Amino acid sequence: MVDVRRVRGGDGLQEINAEIDEILDAVVEKTRHATVEFFVAYDKNPDPKVLAAWLAPRAWREIDYVFLLNEQIRRYGLNFSRTHITLLAKQSFQEAEHYEAVGKAIESLGGIVPTIVPASAKPWSDFLWDCLERHPLAAIAAWNVSETSASGSFEPTFEAGERHGFDEVVRVYRQIETDEKFHVGLGRQILSRYAKTDQDREEILRAMRGMRDIAWTTFTPESVVIENA
Amino acid sequence: MNDMTLSDAKRGHSADAVFDARIAAASVEADGVLSLHLASLSGSALPRWTPGAHIDVILPNGLVRQYSLCGDPDLATWRIGVLREPASRGGSKCIHDEMAVGDRIQLAGPRNNFKLVDAERYLFIAGGIGITPILAMIRQVAAAGLPWTLLYGGRTRSSMAFLDEIAGFAGGDVHIAPQDECGLLDLQRFLGQQQQGMAVFCCGPGPLIDAVEDKCRTWMPGSLHRERFAPSNRPPLPKGAFEVELARSRQRLTVPAHRSLLAVLQEAGHSVTHSCTAGICGTCLVKVLAGVPQHNDDVLSDEEREAGGVMLVCVSRSDSELLVLDL
Repeated sequence: MVDVRRVRGGDGLQEINAEIDEILDAVVEKTRHATVEFFVAYDKNPDPKVLAAWLAPRAWREIDYVFLLNEQIRRYGLNFSRTHITLLAKQSFQEAEHYEAVGKAIESLGGIVPTIVPASAKPWSDFLWDCLERHPLAAIAAWNVSETSASGSFEPTFEAGERHGFDEVVRVYRQIETDEKFHVGLGRQILSRYAKTDQDREEILRAMRGMRDIAWTTFTPESVVIENA
Repeated sequence: MNDMTLSDAKRGHSADAVFDARIAAASVEADGVLSLHLASLSGSALPRWTPGAHIDVILPNGLVRQYSLCGDPDLATWRIGVLREPASRGGSKCIHDEMAVGDRIQLAGPRNNFKLVDAERYLFIAGGIGITPILAMIRQVAAAGLPWTLLYGGRTRSSMAFLDEIAGFAGGDVHIAPQDECGLLDLQRFLGQQQQGMAVFCCGPGPLIDAVEDKCRTWMPGSLHRERFAPSNRPPLPKGAFEVELARSRQRLTVPAHRSLLAVLQEAGHSVTHSCTAGICGTCLVKVLAGVPQHNDDVLSDEEREAGGVMLVCVSRSDSELLVLDL
């Protein structure tokens, strides 16, 4: 198994790699725990609309990444290599595909695909965009934690999928799981390549710590809000 | 089960798959001709074969060469005869100069595209190292007590391998014809007229095969069976291109210089998980069974690169002519 956190391409994170790994491990574990709790509750009341509502913030994340990545490229992209611009654009395209795929899954469950930020995802979205304003690498650091957090949700989701037979959701998230390895590796490579100063590293850690405390919250059973069609 | 190692068995390989063996013995058979006796690592019998079969030898430098099996099919070991090619691009030169008894060697096969057929009698025509598949055929035909004739040519007598062994086979009409003593083989004498019930088997360089085909044009279709030294006559791959063999299907694909291995695999109908196509996500990781990968990714560790046992097919290529992949 390849470890994308060890991606080559720069040494700008050397001094803070250990702390970054701790942050990532923590957010994965919190997200895994929140997802397990959600499906424990879902097992007692397996209403597809509840599952659809749980997926709604996930769908929003996907489309918000599209907006954010495109703005990242527009605003700061020419400070990056052409290859990194291309890869960020590729990530953006994949996030758009995920929005479409998760959206279809939500609709197949009888839910509504969000077209404005859901209330439960607003703290996440606000923090991400605030990071983009602060520093060229901060938003990348934030979404790197957020993307990593999702990896904690995959196995509990797949296990629940077997129990409840929501095969389409599982199929969609199998593809997302693959693509997120790319996104996590790309984020780490860009941060490592372009972080040069202590201030850069401070902004990266600030963004990561902040996202660590937010990213998992939309996976809990308490975060689910069912909107009427 | 007659495969070589437990790991081979775990990989689910058939006798056609790539496996490790060792050189158990070697001997000089003639000027520039070396025979290698190949044995399994475990001491168990190598897969069975029939006369005319050949194997792939995957050399440490990544080159792959085909050699006919020329020993006794009833033995647990295999034997090949290797001529040192003057224009060797590293195949026969590597075997002659760099390999020794006790070395591990990667093999695949056996496969047989030159099978002995039932006939009342046999005419064998061999040129140079083309004697190797013929030798195994003669052994079987002689053991069956059927009549056979051998017409065997070579540059000089000292360059012609296995002469003593041939002399030991019963029931044959043997014509040894070194070119410096006898000139070219007298094909007209042996092939000028169709002989009922006779099967002709020929192996050797292209001009010999062409001449034999020409003489046999008036023979009954199906009388002539031949094997050219096709692999060594094949033009080299264009610069930057390489070949991959997919071990599970034995399919061979050429990867042009301007295309990725992943794209070639997909085009051939093979599904490989992937995402970034940039050597970052690691999801297109594939096991390498033979050959030397050229790692162009950003995510494998130094140890993984050095070991060469895996590669990311989206960006990585090959430093050897051929890669054998666990696909």
